[in-house]
Amino acid sequence: MKRRICAIVMMILFVMMFPVSCGKKQSNQNNSGGTSEIDVDLTVLSSTMVYSEVYNMMMNPKKYIGKTVKMNGAYAIYEGENRIYHACLIADATACCSQGIEFQLSGSLKYPDDYPEIGSDITVIGTFDTYMEGECEFCQLIDAVIVEDNF
Amino acid sequence: MNGWEKLILYFQYPFVRYALIVGVLIALCSSLLGVTLVLKRFSFIGDGLSHVAFGAMAIAAVFGMTNEMPLVLVVTIVSAVLLLRTGQNAKIKGDAAVAMISVGALAIGYLLMNLFAKSSNLSGDVCSTLFGSTSILTLTQTEVWLCVLLSVVVTAIFVLFYHKIFAVTFDEGFAKATGTNAGLYNLMIAVVVAVVIVLAMNLVGSLLISALVIFPALSAMRVFKSFRAVTICSAVLSVCCAFVGILISIVGGTPVGSTIVAVDIAAFGGFSGAGIILGGMKK
Repeated sequence: MKRRICAIVMMILFVMMFPVSCGKKQSNQNNSGGTSEIDVDLTVLSSTMVYSEVYNMMMNPKKYIGKTVKMNGAYAIYEGENRIYHACLIADATACCSQGIEFQLSGSLKYPDDYPEIGSDITVIGTFDTYMEGECEFCQLIDAVIVEDNF
Repeated sequence: MNGWEKLILYFQYPFVRYALIVGVLIALCSSLLGVTLVLKRFSFIGDGLSHVAFGAMAIAAVFGMTNEMPLVLVVTIVSAVLLLRTGQNAKIKGDAAVAMISVGALAIGYLLMNLFAKSSNLSGDVCSTLFGSTSILTLTQTEVWLCVLLSVVVTAIFVLFYHKIFAVTFDEGFAKATGTNAGLYNLMIAVVVAVVIVLAMNLVGSLLISALVIFPALSAMRVFKSFRAVTICSAVLSVCCAFVGILISIVGGTPVGSTIVAVDIAAFGGFSGAGIILGGMKK
């Protein structure tokens, strides 16, 4: 019985020593935007964490209103009837789901000249806010700036 | 930022703490039942019932139900009772009944979601339900309390009726002959299995639930031989694997469900090795 208990302890230690830091590399880049004034920095989180945090932001937007958010993802647009919606999309770890946050760049920029290519990797910093359109509440980053892009 | 600093940062997020609490509790409950199910030759029932739960979730989505848990629980419990209680006397028996219900519910569920679902991200919803995705990291406080409550009930039932479950698991005929109401205890096991399956869908998704049920039990059986020792070892191992799996997935950015199962497989490999070594020592 003692041998068995020793074997079990060894097995549990073996499992606990499973490399905790394995997996995908993080894109933890510091750039011109800095992180000192950032309330919610999604760029330092793993893809699983980012997806979950963005999900929480969408489900409980009131908690995040007025906070400065920094996020990294793929640039995407949606052409609505009255305007073009710009968004930063993040895929989850299983790569089947994606969460996105709409952003509005500060200044009078024109699409497509002043915007990156669709699908390119961007890092956006902006203030989290919500707005009503019809009967639905939407989230967005206002006064946003793209601090790292491919254009 | 190294792995330890990341962990400290991540623990500041409430959803990470919720995920660890719920993950550990679900792992504990599923491992307790895993021993009984493996010994009763019902290892695959988790898979079948989880597909039934998927079908029920599809129906809930079609009807636009905001809280799908009650419907999913009821449908899964009814299916578990039908499979576990009437399985022996039915015309379609055991594995055939499980397989039939499993694929039938999966197909009907996916069909209903395709035809009537209101969600704009159908593939995401299906993937999340099948593989767990990040469901465990997006739990609300109410869901966490529900999971805690159900886990406490399941563990209490197992502890209180341990001897009866043991008797029904090993020799149902003998248990009946000695006056034990085997039917009632089989019904109780069926209900508890269904509850655990519905809870575990949040953790690993419906396709990976069987792993959570069978791997800890099979690992423990490599080393221990008595029902009590196997059950305790299975519970401890399952909790450790779930805890480590969740930590790896949040730090490494890997899918939660499959990471937990990968750790379970690693533990099974280790225990198999330990079993062989111990067997050799005895000889």
